[in-house]
Amino acid sequence: MLRELGALTRREFLKIRRNPQALFTSLLLPLLYLLLFGQGFNINPAAALPPGTPPLVAHQVLLDYFRGAPNYYSYFAAGMVGFVAVTATLFIGANVIFDKLFGIFKRTRGTPAPSAAVFGSRLIAGSAQPIALAFFVLGLALLFAHIPGLSGLRVTAQVSALGVVEVFLAIVLLSLMFATLFLTFGILLDVPQTYFAAVNLLNLPVLLTSDALYPWGSMPVWLRTISQYNPVSLAVNVLRETFFGAGQYPFGPGVYLLGLLGWTAVLMGIAIFLVSRALRPLE
Amino acid sequence: MSSRIGGAIVAEDLVKVYNGKVRAVDGVSFNVSPGEVFGFLGPNGAGKTTTVSMLSAGLRPTSGRAMIDGLEVSKDALEVKRRIGVIFQESTADGDLTGRENLEVAAGTYGIPRGEGNRRAEALIHQMQLSDAADRFAKTYSGGMRRRLELAVGLVHRPKILFLDEPTLGLDPQGRAGFWSFIQKLKDETGLTVFVTTHYLDEADTMCDRIAIIDHGKIVATGSPNELKDKLGGDVVTLKTAEGAADMSAVLKPLAGVVSLQKQDGSYRVKCASGETLVPLAVEACARAGAGVTGVTVKRPSLDEVFLEYTGREFREEEGPSATDRAVMMQRVRGALGGRR
Repeated sequence: MLRELGALTRREFLKIRRNPQALFTSLLLPLLYLLLFGQGFNINPAAALPPGTPPLVAHQVLLDYFRGAPNYYSYFAAGMVGFVAVTATLFIGANVIFDKLFGIFKRTRGTPAPSAAVFGSRLIAGSAQPIALAFFVLGLALLFAHIPGLSGLRVTAQVSALGVVEVFLAIVLLSLMFATLFLTFGILLDVPQTYFAAVNLLNLPVLLTSDALYPWGSMPVWLRTISQYNPVSLAVNVLRETFFGAGQYPFGPGVYLLGLLGWTAVLMGIAIFLVSRALRPLE
Repeated sequence: MSSRIGGAIVAEDLVKVYNGKVRAVDGVSFNVSPGEVFGFLGPNGAGKTTTVSMLSAGLRPTSGRAMIDGLEVSKDALEVKRRIGVIFQESTADGDLTGRENLEVAAGTYGIPRGEGNRRAEALIHQMQLSDAADRFAKTYSGGMRRRLELAVGLVHRPKILFLDEPTLGLDPQGRAGFWSFIQKLKDETGLTVFVTTHYLDEADTMCDRIAIIDHGKIVATGSPNELKDKLGGDVVTLKTAEGAADMSAVLKPLAGVVSLQKQDGSYRVKCASGETLVPLAVEACARAGAGVTGVTVKRPSLDEVFLEYTGREFREEEGPSATDRAVMMQRVRGALGGRR
């Protein structure tokens, strides 16, 4: 099993390396968001306060509005990490469909490689990209804070080693979860158009019911309620709580991680059931 | 637990019904001995690829049994896959990987350790005369090179049995000859059992030890190419009479040496013991009956004739425009998308 998994994973990484255009494009999207959207949309609710509002009150307004983040950009940068972990996994299922169309998948299925190796290899490669991209976004946002004229991610809490591990786990779990979801779509579907329709149908509702990009203070209560259960929000909460402190969150990062783990486990269980049926040795 | 039952390839009353109503394969039985090259011929849609899929552990039969190297396919599918190599009709090599990488990855998917896989890849590259192109992307290969790479990929785990589904489709005559010389060499050196479907009857005639013809999901004839040709009963003479001439069937049938006669579009297809003896007799008989003969051909029996005899159709009429078109289309699509994938 491990040799088969190793060989198929090597193939996936070779293909990623052979397609630098795709890599460049996947970097470009978050870069544009960080450089343009985040900078241009850097709203400040304290600016609307009446003149003479005490600085401490103004500061508290900011903290309430952005769940402890010192400004929108910092709030948004943490959200972007979750955002790219989803968007970077969107197309991994499409690669499976193209491999089916080009006969490559048929070759793999003609071998005794277990379905776990076929699925696992693509999952490893498919989630490695969003994980790398999420850390790229995080690094870039932190870097921007030190470039004059640019807003950047300002970490205002003391980040412990455990906090770093929690952030890492949140990114890995979120990437793994969405990679599992879209990879399963790719294995179950045969037509690219159907795949893209399904992905689009899911992608926007998932992102738009999370608090990845909306300021917490501007969200209606019903949307806040929904977003609490959204896996993107769960991952982003871990990041924000680690970066900006626990004051604004009812639970610790461990609880959000558990929620995320639950989502990942459920989706992984469904995926294993469906994929093992779809890839059984004899159709 | 393995369920061993003897034989190289055995099909026992194999049936495949799609969607509960389309009987693609309808009770196919045959036995292929170890080291034999077995040809499977039939018109498009006759059930060839479905049969190959059931034998190569790709498709579960609706009923019947398929056995490979003594293993029942439906019970030991993964073990069967280890013992067979399959060269599919379409190219399955990964264009974004080099020829060498394709082989190394394929070796890994059979659980072959990396070092051993790399050694086998190198040996096959040399054997298939791909050394100069081994480190080029497979998408830059010519059709013949791609087929050789496919063959190498199918052999990397040293299978005992090789399934070739239209292996030379889309190749030029030189490429076809080259491909078959590799197969012949392999067979001679390793005693490989080969099961091949092909649209090229000349290939089947020269390469196969035995042939089965399948039509409408049923096997209509089995035997060595010579046995099948001999069953036709000698030569085939085709006579064409002048337009508007009367039916000459009654005149030709009683002639000495005539075995059977079929009238087709103003022509008479006459099976006879000797074409050379029959032609002057037939021309004279037609002339006496008032019908001028405008064309005569004498054919030694070929597999085309065998095919026509058992399926009632010219093989060339059936020659796969759909399959060929598909191969050409896929090549074009690959070319168009090659840079983007």
